Amino acid sequence: MMPDWIITAILVAIKLGFVLALLLTGAAYLVLAERKLLGRMQLRYGPNRVGPFGLMQPLADAVKLLMKEDFIPAQGDKVLFFIAPGIAAVTALITFAVIPFGPPLRLFGREMPLVVCDLNIGLLYFLGLSSLAVYGIALGGWASNSKYALLGSIRALAQLISYELSMGLSIVPVVLMARSFSLTEIVNAQTHIPFALLNPPAFLVFLISVLAESKRTPFDIPEAENEIVAGFHTEYSGMRFGMFFVGEYINVIILSSMVTVLFLGGWHGPLLPGIVWFFGKVMLIAFLFIWTRGTLPRFRYDQLMHFGWKVLVPIALLNVVVTGAILLLLQG
Amino acid sequence: MLDSYLPIIVLIGIAVGFAICTTIFSRLIGQKKPTEVKLAPYECGMPPVGSARERMSMKFYIIAMLFIVFDIEAVFLYPWAVMFKKLGLFGFVEMGVFIAILLVGYIYVWKKGALEWE
Amino acid sequence: MAAILFYILSAVALGATLICVTRRNPVHAVIYLVHAFFALAMIFYLFGAPLVAAWEVIIYAGAIMVLFMFIIMMLELAPDQTTEGPGWKRWLPVLLLSGTLVVCTLLLMFADAETASGVPRYYASPRTFGYALFKEYALAVEIVSFQLLFAAVGAFYVGRREKRKPRRAP
Repeated sequence: MMPDWIITAILVAIKLGFVLALLLTGAAYLVLAERKLLGRMQLRYGPNRVGPFGLMQPLADAVKLLMKEDFIPAQGDKVLFFIAPGIAAVTALITFAVIPFGPPLRLFGREMPLVVCDLNIGLLYFLGLSSLAVYGIALGGWASNSKYALLGSIRALAQLISYELSMGLSIVPVVLMARSFSLTEIVNAQTHIPFALLNPPAFLVFLISVLAESKRTPFDIPEAENEIVAGFHTEYSGMRFGMFFVGEYINVIILSSMVTVLFLGGWHGPLLPGIVWFFGKVMLIAFLFIWTRGTLPRFRYDQLMHFGWKVLVPIALLNVVVTGAILLLLQG
Repeated sequence: MLDSYLPIIVLIGIAVGFAICTTIFSRLIGQKKPTEVKLAPYECGMPPVGSARERMSMKFYIIAMLFIVFDIEAVFLYPWAVMFKKLGLFGFVEMGVFIAILLVGYIYVWKKGALEWE
Repeated sequence: MAAILFYILSAVALGATLICVTRRNPVHAVIYLVHAFFALAMIFYLFGAPLVAAWEVIIYAGAIMVLFMFIIMMLELAPDQTTEGPGWKRWLPVLLLSGTLVVCTLLLMFADAETASGVPRYYASPRTFGYALFKEYALAVEIVSFQLLFAAVGAFYVGRREKRKPRRAP
């Protein structure tokens, strides 16, 4: 009979290995999927040279990024320049810790919840980390000592905080309905009907805010190529650029997972095993991200700020009050 | 208790390790041939003009300030939402007044044009 | 255990704040201040108030420090030449502080797990905290709301007056 702590250690190792492998390969293949899909949407093939169907492309990209020259712009702040991409990647990676990706599993005669750590303040952990994620961008842009980078990071900062507000406010109805901060309990509150159907306005506001938080088209003002080159990562090269890049795609996976967990009922669904449902839904939302990128043009900056402050925030606030009133009436 | 917290710490450790290792690894195997022109900040091929520490529009300051105000409102909403059932009508009215007061400020700055971008 | 952790964290918070106010470079100062906020958040967690700890991170590190960054960027406070002297030596304190914070996080978790004596006697879960806040201190909540209103209007006016001044030549 194995001692207790060895089983614990093995379970933790399995879980973490699974999560990390999933996130990193997921991010790598999301890049490929995006390039392929965008290619198809623009009537071209996308990468198809490296390996069968271009499946080895992420590997080739990684090797290329590793071999690239990694230089620091003159008069840049060396240490901050070094740390900033790390902050971006690390905050993205550790956010997944609170996301439950399947129903509890029985292994070695022990109940194992399929979540790295079911914090009872999981939702606040997610919000806290997403508010810390701006530092990677702010510091990176500032440390580059380049005008484009600085402009990009200021735009990114203003955009991220504006949409963080509507994102935070659109989560409140979910907490109202689920009466918990724990993401596992939020998923379990949607066993019968997902919150996206119960409260469509919150779902839409959250989806749009999440799209803006990921800094992708139509909200990619911080890195608008034809105005400010590449925004906050103009001066970055090699693996440090790769770090920002990986962070962005991990962020897409995480935000899709948050949409799934908060509004689409997480792993709940008929017939198929829970984990399949969860990743199916995540992939659907990720596809939606790519689809919008292939479809919509970029917002102008004033449109972006107007939309965030004058449309999404009032809707989200009103929705909180209305949801509260309805819940109160239902309770009698 | 330890079971539940241990994974998150290990994950943070691995994430930090991943970030440090890949950067150092790429520094080791990447080539290094810095030249003065290469290290200059990118400005579309022109020699850099002036400093990159420019003044920014005051607009951003107001946005950041309003963000703080509404973010504090949002964090007040979370514990309220989680206890909504127990607080009942009293809690609802209380939060209604809270939001209404803030809405006054919101409408005021809107009407005064703080949210306009020219 | 809890007492030792408290003293270490307080030392980190004080040290970080001290380094923060002595920095020449405002962006570096901001980073030290963020360390101080993290130490404070962990002290709150240690005292059994996880919600307040989360607020500390979301509001102070997430919102107010972003405002600081904006102001630093806006006012050209940062010196142009930042690279003099050996870079890594100047950053030893920040590594030391974040290292201490990580070790404290570890200790905090182990203290939680092993001994009940290490953890505080009173634990305010988000629910208890929310109930007390909105039931017993309802008036305080409304006063906070008024303060936020004043803050919004005041911020608008401060920004407004600054704009009316004649602009400097670009």
